[in-house]
Amino acid sequence: MDNYYLGIDVGSVSTNLILIDEDNELVFKRYLRTQGKPIDIIKEGIKELSDEFGAKNILGVGATGSGRYLASIIVGADIVKNEITSHAVAALDYNSEVKTIIEIGGQDSKIIIVRDGIVVDFAMNTVCAAGTGSFLDRQALRLGIDISEFGNKALDSNNDVRIAGRCAVFAESDMIHKQQLGHNQEDIIKGLCSALVRNYLSNVGKGKEITSPILFQGGVAANKGIKASFEEELNNNVIVPKNFDVMGAIGAAILGKKKAKSQGYTNFKGVDLYKNNYGVGSIECSGCSNICEILEIKEDNKVLARYGDKCGKWSL
Amino acid sequence: MKGKIGIPRGMMYYELYPEWEGYFRSLNFDLITSPRTNKEILDIGIFTCVDEACLPVKIFHGHVDYLKDKVDYIFIPKITSLCKGEYNCPKILGLPDMIKHSIGNLPPVIDTEFQSYKRSSIKRAYNEIGKSLECNSSSISKAYRKALDTKDKYIDRLEAEILSNRKDIESTKLNLLILGHPYVIFDEFLNMGILNKLIDNKVNIVFPEDVEEKDVLYYSNLLPKRMFWTEGRRIVGSAFSLIDKQKIDGIIYLSSFGCGLDSVFTYIISRKAKERNIPIMELTLDEQTGEAGFNTRLEAYLDMMKWRNKNENYLSSLR
Repeated sequence: MDNYYLGIDVGSVSTNLILIDEDNELVFKRYLRTQGKPIDIIKEGIKELSDEFGAKNILGVGATGSGRYLASIIVGADIVKNEITSHAVAALDYNSEVKTIIEIGGQDSKIIIVRDGIVVDFAMNTVCAAGTGSFLDRQALRLGIDISEFGNKALDSNNDVRIAGRCAVFAESDMIHKQQLGHNQEDIIKGLCSALVRNYLSNVGKGKEITSPILFQGGVAANKGIKASFEEELNNNVIVPKNFDVMGAIGAAILGKKKAKSQGYTNFKGVDLYKNNYGVGSIECSGCSNICEILEIKEDNKVLARYGDKCGKWSL
Repeated sequence: MKGKIGIPRGMMYYELYPEWEGYFRSLNFDLITSPRTNKEILDIGIFTCVDEACLPVKIFHGHVDYLKDKVDYIFIPKITSLCKGEYNCPKILGLPDMIKHSIGNLPPVIDTEFQSYKRSSIKRAYNEIGKSLECNSSSISKAYRKALDTKDKYIDRLEAEILSNRKDIESTKLNLLILGHPYVIFDEFLNMGILNKLIDNKVNIVFPEDVEEKDVLYYSNLLPKRMFWTEGRRIVGSAFSLIDKQKIDGIIYLSSFGCGLDSVFTYIISRKAKERNIPIMELTLDEQTGEAGFNTRLEAYLDMMKWRNKNENYLSSLR
């Protein structure tokens, strides 16, 4: 029986589950929308995995994404890793020569600088989400275009329109003005893609040395318009890996594999875990003035984990 | 006891508390310090303070609010400068005025101005305070000497307290310089407990205060223009010194959102760090209490440092 390793990336917009084999080849991939219900979506993903594959030999699990701790509690992960390291590991596995990784997700955008196969610098967007997927989502909705069509439209533009990209709110009013002037939709979309790229480069990529090979990954890499704008702006070729949308999960799986091998066992609870009932309860502790919000995760009636307190009195 | 003096645990408290303690204790006043920052203090601070202020100033408002019904006076000196030709942040200068206009029903606020580099100014200020508290001249001058005799730096005490947690944890070779204002570095609630998170990760923490004063002076004088803020001289000078002497592996700068001083210092320091190939990460703190984004950056940074170090070891064994 072949050996497999599971990677889970619970992000703000999407939850991804992937399975790799011993050679890090992808054999299963699910890209699901998180929709604010991470536990249900993780269960759904595991169920789909079980339906398609049955009980395979899953020997290691890695979790990443902003919901990585939650995912780890639910499925039993061998390693819990931040998104930056996971993305870098997956990118290096895809192309060991990579020097720059551009990753744009739902709420985060990151740049990772790699030299000689190690991460030497990185940056993430600060409080502003103007250069991320949720911003694009919102603008596509406003223009009444499906997000999957959005990027292709930009490619049809001959003459891009300058859109203010520094702030999502200003970009929106600028777009409305340009629409009222009579610019066509393709040009406005192209302008928006360029604005997002400019924002990314001046905000996240500020002061970084961006040299090729450049990998572009994360959900937004599906957008051909953005990719084209990056290539124009950087005057360089930008590579979008085949599994750009689940690179974080792939990285987590690779790390999970390594960890499980070195410890000699896996914490994975098995694909049947989707049959369990998971409940979340929260209480506000009134023990002191910190008024911590304590979260409790239950599997059927067993408390799996409790966290959120500052003092450690509730932690489990 | 003559009465209770409230000392809000924020801003200059982290540098000057022992001096104040020496002075007021000698005059036979009871000192009440607000507790460590907690969520209630933060919430009240955000509610009472003007919107544009930085988080430490908002938190300071919360501390004042906590104290206002429990004491007879609140001590919020206007500390204009600590060194000649250098000044404090405008928000420290305006702190007593901001507080008086934002928080109602305050007990009397002691808001005497200090130009702490001038002996005569310090003496005059303490005299004024003593007189307003109806103390006689001889006890005031005794208290004044007591204040100036207080040699120990409060920051050293705070550092020792935090570092005592790491006794049983063996530290690795990873030396990280933690930069920022003392009122950010030592307020564990404000900075989401970063020091303990670093200690748990076996990091050897280096503080700006660990650098000798003469090095701070020497290196800050290398700047083309004299530093306007005292706080900046220490932050930039200590960073330059440690970078130059290669005593640190990386830098984490804890900045407050909206801090004008930080925006200048981070830029100056990251340019220098980049020249010497020392990774610097700026973590901006604001009112958010969700720690996920903060932890992700911290974990990624530590991963990167470990990765880099491993690689260096690997290379050196080849040579």
